[in-house]
Amino acid sequence: MSDALLDSILSTLLPGDADWPSAGSLDLSAAVRADCEAAALAAILGALPPDFAAGDADARESALRAIEAAQPAAFERLVAAAYLAYYTEPRVRIVVERLTGYAARPPQPLGYALEPFDEALLATQKRRAPFWRRA
Amino acid sequence: MSASDVLIVGAGASGAAAAWRLAASGVSVTCLEQGGWLDQRSAPSLGADWERALQTAHNANPNIRRAAADYPVVDDDTPIKPAVFNGVGGGTLRWGAHFPRMHPSDFRVRTLDGVADDWPLAYDELAPYYEINDRIMGVSGLAGDPANPPREARPLPPLPLGPGGGAMARAFDALGWHWWPSDSAIASAPIDGREGCNHCGPCGVGCPRHARASVDLTYWPRALQAGATLVTGARVRRLIADRKDRIAAVEYVDAAGTAQRAVAKIVVLAANGMGSARLLLASASRAHPAGIGNDHDLVGRCLMHHPTAIVTGVFAARLDGYKGAFACALLSQEFYETDRARGFVRGYQMQLVRGSGPVATALGGYMARVPWGRDHHRRFRSEFAHTVSLTVTAEDLPEPDNRVTLDPVARDGAGVPAPRLAYRVSDNSRRILDHGIARASEVLRAAGAVDVVVNPLASAAGFHFLGTMRMGDDPARSVTDRWGRVHGTDNLYAIDGGVFVTSGAVNPTPTIQALALRSADHIAARLKEAA
Ligand SMILES: Cc1cc2nc3c(=O)[nH]c(=O)nc-3n(C[C@H](O)[C@H](O)[C@H](O)COP(=O)(O)OP(=O)(O)OC[C@H]3O[C@@H](n4cnc5c(N)ncnc54)[C@H](O)[C@@H]3O)c2cc1C
Ligand code: SF4
Repeated sequence: MSDALLDSILSTLLPGDADWPSAGSLDLSAAVRADCEAAALAAILGALPPDFAAGDADARESALRAIEAAQPAAFERLVAAAYLAYYTEPRVRIVVERLTGYAARPPQPLGYALEPFDEALLATQKRRAPFWRRA
Repeated sequence: MSASDVLIVGAGASGAAAAWRLAASGVSVTCLEQGGWLDQRSAPSLGADWERALQTAHNANPNIRRAAADYPVVDDDTPIKPAVFNGVGGGTLRWGAHFPRMHPSDFRVRTLDGVADDWPLAYDELAPYYEINDRIMGVSGLAGDPANPPREARPLPPLPLGPGGGAMARAFDALGWHWWPSDSAIASAPIDGREGCNHCGPCGVGCPRHARASVDLTYWPRALQAGATLVTGARVRRLIADRKDRIAAVEYVDAAGTAQRAVAKIVVLAANGMGSARLLLASASRAHPAGIGNDHDLVGRCLMHHPTAIVTGVFAARLDGYKGAFACALLSQEFYETDRARGFVRGYQMQLVRGSGPVATALGGYMARVPWGRDHHRRFRSEFAHTVSLTVTAEDLPEPDNRVTLDPVARDGAGVPAPRLAYRVSDNSRRILDHGIARASEVLRAAGAVDVVVNPLASAAGFHFLGTMRMGDDPARSVTDRWGRVHGTDNLYAIDGGVFVTSGAVNPTPTIQALALRSADHIAARLKEAA
């Protein structure tokens, strides 16, 4: 199976726009193959219409929706593998950072800053009498 | 292996606590653990691939993770899939570290509410052990919660709420409902050589700062210092009973794959409510044809999970919920105690869960998966860093048909039959969940959520295995006595969540550990008396 076919599936699942690269443009097919159970991927590929890659976006989307309806478990595995590959790809993390402020770096060792707990927030709760049942 | 006074199976939350308590009392103790040590100093959160690790090597589901230390769990007859971790630290290597206690009423459900059974002990008997456990785990929080009995000042101040937690706190206040900062087994400031939490978020892949209290970092160093022996890579196959009332030896396969036998005056099962029940059933012999402790067909029955719904609010404002320990911020126990007017008996806890990273958001960790196709990027942006979730943790009552049995086909690498889970959400639990979903939706809307997404039953939330070896004074209605000793077998104890009589509606580990410390004191006193 050619990478071009898998790339066109990936670009249908995660199309590009002015901000986001399409998944098919990022050389993710090897990662998706590694993460998606082989039998599930084979089942999806086997169900594609022969002219899938040549179709326009609407045709490709409706072909995949039909396969999703017929083989939901296998399709879900492919979608999960595609999301995993896409959102761990550094070029996508840069976009996430630009659009959301989520730093394109691992969580550690820097962690994140948060304001310490403010006990003044508990003023209302502290006025409440104990309400646990004695037993 | 030379004989010890006590042999513990399992180095998780309960096994570690008991090993320390026994060793510190001068008892010789050995623990057999099928997994190994996890190097949390080099946790995946230090690298780019941490979200992949969360889905794979650190996945909470052993059937997905499939690590060498794992055993298969047959789960096709339950909507709630298993979530465990096998290694030195057990489930605490993967946990969220939310650390609430059960309430006094949880130990008296038959007397107060006419359902299930009372425990053979009361909250007051456990309270001193909760305090010891809180000190060793290094708990952050604040005493004074009106929903709970008084407790000692917490060793450390509460963790930050973050913007989402702050908004929820104000919303609970506005509705006149209870909330309180969670007791968390996470260091908010340095303690006992552990650094304070720096709010990185994914505690589930391990904590490189050692801020999160897994028992490999809290109890085990103390237990080893006090003289306990820990054997890793040791998979216990069965208990060997030479007489009806005595365990003569424990058979295990060591790290090299060689079958071994270990003997001890007392054997303690701490393999969690699934693993320990499995071992009792797998140890059937002529003396125990249905498995050890199973003369009344109770081993493995009455499995309680805490069925969990997750209700997520999507907010227009950025909440940056990926910052902060994912499971620890605040809780509400407004609807914890029984009020029959609500249409069910017993109750639930709501626990705030922060947001997650990009992969987990796209995969729909707490909500539905973000749809693929042309609307994907818009939906991703509206959800990522814009959500806060409440779990609705329902009290499960003991139902005999909810159970752990042995699968007739599947086996682990040592040839032990795999556990098979059979579980249904009861009508009462479903009513609890539905009430909680409605209340959680209400408070999320009050906090300003523009959309509320409901997961009516979190399938991945099979974290708690309770009730499979229930305690009781009557051997016909229970598997273990008030100390966890298996009825009819003088030198065999269970100390994990399997001994729970009822489940309460809180995360169970503080109670599991307090019970383990209490059983350890009983065992140490018994050994001292015999000497
Ligand atoms: C994702 C996740 C999140 C959680 N979050 C929370 C939370 O926020 N708060 C909370 O209170 N609880 C939480 N829990 C639950 C908590 O981890 C458990 O309640 C706790 O670890 C149970 O302690 P235990 O001693 O009974 O068993 P475990 O900690 O499960 O330890 C059992 C040990 O026994 C070993 N073992 C099993 N069988 C054998 C055998 N045959 N031979 C040798 N060794 C064996 C296992 O390898 C394991 O290490 C969470 C769990 C998970 C998975
Ligand atoms: S959020 Fe805190 S406790 Fe959790 S892994 Fe990060 S530093 Fe450790």
